Amino acid sequence: MDHRAGESVVDNHSSSKKRLITGNQAVALGALRAGVKVVTGYPGTPSSGALGSLIEMDLEGERHVEWSTNEKVAFEIAAGAAWAGQRAMCTMKMSGLNVASDSVFSIAHSGVNGGLVIYVADDPGAHAGMVEQDSRGYARMMDLPMLEPMTVGDAYEIVQVAFDLSERTGTPVFVRSVTAIANSHAPVMVMEPVPPAEREPILERDITKYTKAGSAIAQAQHRDVIARLEEAGSAIREMKLNELQLAAEPGGLGVIAAGAMGPYLNEGLELLGDVVSRQDPISVLRVRGTNPFPGDEVRALFDRCDTILVLEELEPYLERETWVEARRAGFDGRIVGKIDGPFGRVGEYGVKHVVRGVREALGLEETGSGGQDTVWDEAEALAAARPITVCAGCPHRGTFLAINQALRELKLKRDEVMVTGDIGCTILGMNPPFETVWNEVSMGASVGLAQGYVHSGLKTPVIATIGDSTFFHAGMPGLINAVQHQVELTLIVMDNQWTAMTGMQANPSTEEAYQPPGNRRVDLAELIPAMGVEHFFVMDPFELETATATVKEALELPGVKVVLSRQECAIQAQRRGLRAGRIRVDDEACTVCRRCITVTGCPAISLGEDTIVIDQGLCYGCGLCAQVCPFDAIETVSEERR
Amino acid sequence: MREGVGSRSYDVYLVGVGGQGVLTIADLIAEAAMEDGLGVNVYPTKGMAQRGGSVKVQVRLGREGIGPEIPERGADLVVAMERSEALKAVRYVKPGGEFLVFGRVWEPTRVMLGKADYPSLEQVGDKVRAAGARWRYVDPDELPSREGRPVPANVYVLGAAVGQTGLGEVVDADRVAAVVAKRWERYAAVNETAFRAGLEADVDGS
Repeated sequence: MDHRAGESVVDNHSSSKKRLITGNQAVALGALRAGVKVVTGYPGTPSSGALGSLIEMDLEGERHVEWSTNEKVAFEIAAGAAWAGQRAMCTMKMSGLNVASDSVFSIAHSGVNGGLVIYVADDPGAHAGMVEQDSRGYARMMDLPMLEPMTVGDAYEIVQVAFDLSERTGTPVFVRSVTAIANSHAPVMVMEPVPPAEREPILERDITKYTKAGSAIAQAQHRDVIARLEEAGSAIREMKLNELQLAAEPGGLGVIAAGAMGPYLNEGLELLGDVVSRQDPISVLRVRGTNPFPGDEVRALFDRCDTILVLEELEPYLERETWVEARRAGFDGRIVGKIDGPFGRVGEYGVKHVVRGVREALGLEETGSGGQDTVWDEAEALAAARPITVCAGCPHRGTFLAINQALRELKLKRDEVMVTGDIGCTILGMNPPFETVWNEVSMGASVGLAQGYVHSGLKTPVIATIGDSTFFHAGMPGLINAVQHQVELTLIVMDNQWTAMTGMQANPSTEEAYQPPGNRRVDLAELIPAMGVEHFFVMDPFELETATATVKEALELPGVKVVLSRQECAIQAQRRGLRAGRIRVDDEACTVCRRCITVTGCPAISLGEDTIVIDQGLCYGCGLCAQVCPFDAIETVSEERR
Repeated sequence: MREGVGSRSYDVYLVGVGGQGVLTIADLIAEAAMEDGLGVNVYPTKGMAQRGGSVKVQVRLGREGIGPEIPERGADLVVAMERSEALKAVRYVKPGGEFLVFGRVWEPTRVMLGKADYPSLEQVGDKVRAAGARWRYVDPDELPSREGRPVPANVYVLGAAVGQTGLGEVVDADRVAAVVAKRWERYAAVNETAFRAGLEADVDGS
């Protein structure tokens, strides 16, 4: 991969085709081109589109592609295949890497036989919520090579390089992307997929490699992983993945641009135009291999330049190493970045960071926006806020309303009852009009947090809420803990049968008809009682009265209570042409009291002249508005409920 | 003059509300540009909600391997599908650039209940002009109907953008029409009506 920065990857092979694809698809198609045999993952924005696009392709039987129960399981499956000598890839968002990390550390130290690529997508700017985390830190901790694409086209190539690098050095290799690349669409020359190589599975019995039993083994593996990383560094240098362009003249500025910053550097220098060309020469290092640190290339910049500018989003990983390298090399010029310079560690970077950094490094004054930022801020302040809520027909709406109503009927104040929240669409209960859920931590955390609140001595009931996929992912250990220690809490599992927030992936609760052929459904109504839960209830969130009574009953019982609130995601049901019912408004009876809007917040309801109006295109017919109407002005006319 | 950095670069910043088809407009522009051999990068950002949340898409035409984000004051054209959302793009329009607003109003619940304000058309226009952009207004009441039903607004606005702004010099109108026809073969006639009407739309530049 020795093409110039800023150029997409072009191949004139006859079987290739230029297609408009996302950065995620580029990763998936790159893996197919590399002959991957096993691909696993757990959905998480912005990574989901990679494995998702492979699922949609309905690949032949020679490959195995699956959404796994969680990222740790997904990684272990991929690692097992790689130990057996096959090429495997595992995909996840940054938060997923936290979950998988225990096993990734261990496999890193053992090494692999077949190529193993871990695709992790970070979200600078936290567009999708969650911790704004820089996964490059893991590569450093784990001594694993990490490659980062600069563009969508680059992602297609770099995955293939990662597989080769993994097999050449016997180490798992990270490919790290960011939202801006993972979700971007760009034309890429896509080659025909390559079928997986026919390799007999390796069955190798070697406890020094495949176990961690004892200090001698563990320390030998530690030495090995360090050596493999060094070897990978040499390979990355040899392949010229990090593009070094030294100015013809000595002196001037040296810019280090990490991953996605590469193209912005071109554009920023172009914008600066005359300002820069009047100055000293500029040398550039565009870094694709962010781990190990490209020390040789950075030392070449020290030799040529007076000042160094480091452009990297989030944490100053390359920058800190540059300081260390500077000390070792005796470089005494300024290193401009986050430690000494104008940049912060928060948010997504773009062209303006390049312009600002280059100006700072060259000692030029900031130009500012010429007062325009006041106009911009005023404009944005005028814009109406759009807090997000659950979709029209979402079954979670009924569950939140039932919890709120049950608390009212038990004469409990909402600010006295802890309702822990979890990841996924169920967290939307934090927003108006429900304001039911208090907190959001990580997958499955609602169940553990609730137990801590119980042990803290609260006199009021404690409720935990969680979705189906999140419960399978990491909620189950928390529930088993509650059962073992007999902690008095009510867990409400909101089972909509899909991993919905990330784009409707199948999970163990999905009906078998909509799972890949041969997959089996795991029924939460069988699983939860088998976990030792004494008080188990199943409720329909579209039946507000009985749902409220169910939650109320659970709250009044001792011990561990679990309520399974069950109704399929309305978006998925509607895609199959289903409706729960049809809603009609009696214009005469409607007093426009607005209760249907203020209580349900349903996006399908709006105010008309002297009645409320239902958008029949949006409405799923859940009937919750009819159930909260005090004047019987809304009715469900035909029951098509499944 | 289609290859190389800066030779024919054109950036479009699109905003609207989830459900209005903003992402689709961006995709259609990108598809047509790609068929014309232009470099393209499309970067959509949507919130978590399926519908009703803010959506923005950054379309960068004319450069291969360009960074996904349009800088402040960088967009040659803004296309806003919703009046209030337009305000979020003021920061990105280039002074002298065009700012196309389809004036549909999509009120959040709190606005509908009278608990929050919603910007007037005049306020939006003032901010756009203060940013030094050229105002291009498309009246949603002018959206044509076919067989008694309004045509898809997003395809209509796409037509207006191609027919009435500098975008038409970057992507070819017939090429875009062909891409639209190919996208929804079953609805080719109604989309053709929408797109052609958009090309000739009455755009208020006052």
